[in-house]
Amino acid sequence: MKRYDLVVVGAGPSGLSAAIEAAGRGMHVIVFDENEKPGGQLFKQIHKFFGSKEHKARVRGFRIGQELLEEAGRTGVEVCLRATVIGLYQDHELVVRIGDAIEHVKGDTIIIATGASENMVTFEGWTLPGVIGAGAAQTLMNLHGVLPGKRVLMLGSGNVGLVVSYQLMQCGCEVAAVADAAPHIGGYGVHAAKIARCGVPFYLSHTIKKAEGTDHVTGVEIAQVDEHFQFIPGTEKHFDVDTICIAVGLSPMSQLLKMAGARMADDPKKGGQVPVCGRFGATSLPGVFTAGDVAGIEEASSAMIEGRMAGAAAAAYLGFMNEDACEKREKQLTDSLSELRQGMFAPQNKGKQLTVTDEGIPLSKTLLTKGYVSDEEIEAFPGFTHRVGVHPVIECTQNIPCNPCQDVCPKNCISIGDQITALPKVAGGAECVGCGMCVASCSGQAIFLVDEDKGDGTAEVTIPYEFLPLPAQGTVGTALSRSGQPLCRASVVQIRSGKAFDKTNLLTMSVPKEFAMRARFFRADKEAAK
Amino acid sequence: MSECAEVIVIGGGIIGCATSYFLAKRGVSVICLEGSDYIGNGGSSRNGGGVRQSGRDPRELPLVMYGIRKYWPTLSEELDTDCEYHQDGNLRLGKTEKHRQILEGLTAKAQAVGLDVRMIGGDEVRRINPYLSDEVTCASWCPTDGHANPLTTTLGFYKAARRLGVRFITGEKVYALRKVRGRLRKVLCTSGNVYEGDTIVLAAGYDSRAIAATVDIDLPMQKIMLEALVTEAEPPMFRQMLGTADADFYGHQTNHGSFVFGGSSGLEGFTKDNGTPICCSLTAPCICRGILKYFPDLADAKIVRTWAGWMDFTADGVPILGYVPEVPGLVLECGFCGHGFGIAPGAASQIAELITTGTTAVDISALRYDRFKAKI
Amino acid sequence: MSEASEKQKAMKLAQEAAASRVNDRSRDIGEFVPAPDDDIIVCRCEEVTKGEIRKAVHDGMWTVTEVRRYLRTGMGLCQGQTCGRLVKGIIARELGISPALLEPATSRVPMRPLEMHIFANEEKEE
Repeated sequence: MKRYDLVVVGAGPSGLSAAIEAAGRGMHVIVFDENEKPGGQLFKQIHKFFGSKEHKARVRGFRIGQELLEEAGRTGVEVCLRATVIGLYQDHELVVRIGDAIEHVKGDTIIIATGASENMVTFEGWTLPGVIGAGAAQTLMNLHGVLPGKRVLMLGSGNVGLVVSYQLMQCGCEVAAVADAAPHIGGYGVHAAKIARCGVPFYLSHTIKKAEGTDHVTGVEIAQVDEHFQFIPGTEKHFDVDTICIAVGLSPMSQLLKMAGARMADDPKKGGQVPVCGRFGATSLPGVFTAGDVAGIEEASSAMIEGRMAGAAAAAYLGFMNEDACEKREKQLTDSLSELRQGMFAPQNKGKQLTVTDEGIPLSKTLLTKGYVSDEEIEAFPGFTHRVGVHPVIECTQNIPCNPCQDVCPKNCISIGDQITALPKVAGGAECVGCGMCVASCSGQAIFLVDEDKGDGTAEVTIPYEFLPLPAQGTVGTALSRSGQPLCRASVVQIRSGKAFDKTNLLTMSVPKEFAMRARFFRADKEAAK
Repeated sequence: MSECAEVIVIGGGIIGCATSYFLAKRGVSVICLEGSDYIGNGGSSRNGGGVRQSGRDPRELPLVMYGIRKYWPTLSEELDTDCEYHQDGNLRLGKTEKHRQILEGLTAKAQAVGLDVRMIGGDEVRRINPYLSDEVTCASWCPTDGHANPLTTTLGFYKAARRLGVRFITGEKVYALRKVRGRLRKVLCTSGNVYEGDTIVLAAGYDSRAIAATVDIDLPMQKIMLEALVTEAEPPMFRQMLGTADADFYGHQTNHGSFVFGGSSGLEGFTKDNGTPICCSLTAPCICRGILKYFPDLADAKIVRTWAGWMDFTADGVPILGYVPEVPGLVLECGFCGHGFGIAPGAASQIAELITTGTTAVDISALRYDRFKAKI
Repeated sequence: MSEASEKQKAMKLAQEAAASRVNDRSRDIGEFVPAPDDDIIVCRCEEVTKGEIRKAVHDGMWTVTEVRRYLRTGMGLCQGQTCGRLVKGIIARELGISPALLEPATSRVPMRPLEMHIFANEEKEE
């Protein structure tokens, strides 16, 4: 029987990272993945990642995937695609379906990195064509170039729901609304703000009552729920949509471990049935490790570190790394992971409702219920400053582990400090040159350049803009507020699309100066768009 | 709540559930203890669903014939559960001269007990089941055999018994039996709970051996793993129960359309038990190859699940039934050797009759616990 | 005792019973009460409704595994990938216990449906 030092199941972010880490230490590694392309969910992630430089912050997910693949190639990892592991048996044996045959393979160590699958909710009509997972919508759009629908209702305001809503709009779909049964938006405020300023309404404490249609979705009815998640009569709202996206969480795909007899536990905080793990992804089965969502739902950045950890643990298990080196490496990775697992959205804060930031600033209430920070609330945040001349205005209001804005400013105008979750501040005497690097590098698209008074009664606002077609200079239209409401007339003064901006265009619009601190999106007039 | 009942049944498989049901129907109070967390978790939920007389040992044949005459045809109504019983015959298939000899031997023995079973040739086999390959040259054919759904039948007995007031307790693992003043009385559980009954029925499959040992009774049984698989739903093809002379596979098509097949790799009896539900990696492929030689049309049928289960295999291949005079109050109902499903209503009804009346309609004396003797 | 505290006590007893593994199936879980959403399909592969699952619990099927064997929930092509969590939630609610106390159904080979001729075709060692 074929035998490897390490067999990895799943070529997603954690599996590839594990394979690279192990192969780099001289292990003979194969990765099996059932898909046609490697990368797991990474190639669907067209948005820029959060974190620090080390976590590949401000790099788009699919590019991280490309980098991982290149690294895997360099380190000699064999990636076997269209290879479905159908079972994990005794004695470290896997049976893999490849083409029209099955193959028996053994690994002295095994890393299960099979990821997660989407959860569903039931409501009248949920089995109609047109009700799909948000992840499925993302696959259709970003991997296959297929539009899931024309007008979509998103159920779920976690990061998946928010990010996919934005991507749906980027693809030209209309997002009718985002609904969530919870009373507060679950994902990053900056993700919510991105779609709120485009005019997408949020309905919190609302869920789907029924999908309408006979052979496919033609509409949806949502209604408000009370604190026991029971519908409140009379609160029904109807939307004409052809697609309903469900983004209500993920469940670990831990079946291989379960069938092989690994000790499992039901952990709602981790998303469901997960293997009970010791240090660095060690399961109860000797020599079998796990990494990524399969051991608890998180996100790709931490999955990649967990993969590295499991890879190092497998290397140490087989003597490819001595104790000292292993300990050192693991310390390094643990630190890196702890850095990511900080802030308001850290696993330890799951389910908690915080009211102030680490800095003691009251958290925006409208952000949590409507998706945007109100004009009054925004003034309290340290990145929101008024100055003469062009300067960054940072609308980052939650403590999340992310700091590229601090690194990219050539003039050191922006500071976060050593605590990566601290809110960015605009530094005192530093001179902004209006280069726009901060605007383009903010993964949350929460930084704007504002010149509050051009001296002629107008102001200039530079916004990150990731929609097509790109309005030309001189295009006239409407400036929208943070809540997506039309504010005033606006005209495009400049469009910048530098390579360093990595496809985040910088759109500078001219607005009457009283709207300088409120205009946050631009919508071209229909006529002008043609 | 009282931990006493007239009868304590140990084992919540189809034998335990059916015995509880027939006892309760006769007005007896019953507590049924199941060691696992699930009703019907052993062979009862893992077998191929055969309700078969042909191919059986003459010592147990009368019991299964009785059950098929008396209970199976009306069992769904009786249990208010669709047991999916079909009495459309059993084909035991052969391809070689050696197979023919095996089948003729089995057929002659069954005919001697009065079973309607006969040998047929390849052409007649394909008239009954046109999907069989030309490799099939002979078969034994028993028209009164059939199949049912072991999952719903087992849970049906449970449901019906529960409705009649039987108290079922799962997750209650029995580790010992105790006599009180010369008569078996107490059932001790690992939870610390103790149950008491006038009669104790031991229907715990292979685990019965360890439990019986606590009252110094040895039941010569082995634990042998058998595996099975199920396909996705396919269009209706045939209704017979199938087996082969070589025992390479057996099974049927269910009402749902899926095919349930059991089979063997030849390594049974040597399978490693690591306490997990995992099967042997060699068995399912072997079963598939076996099936496709007989049914080439099933090549594209997708398998959605495979599973394994343990048989309680006795030294002579037939169950152990009845009272143990050395241990008054103990009734054995175990060692069904992997064919306990079809025989369950017959066996359970007879044990209930034995407990309540002291006699049985069918003679079960050949299945006594003390029949095991040295060969010379 | 007030109705609320009585309900709380019953809930606590149910939780304890489920956690201890010893599960007395004669415990009173009340009568089956029809609900307006009983005809919603929960298991798409096998088209099993919420009402059927709830009724099965009242017929004594108190575990995901028993409901599965009784009604075929999770027995289809997806093997419960979609409905597993939903079925668990419905059973738990009907029993008045936390879903975390219910063991999910067993996972088994194959992870994905596999044609018989492929399963039969073992790559031979060179």
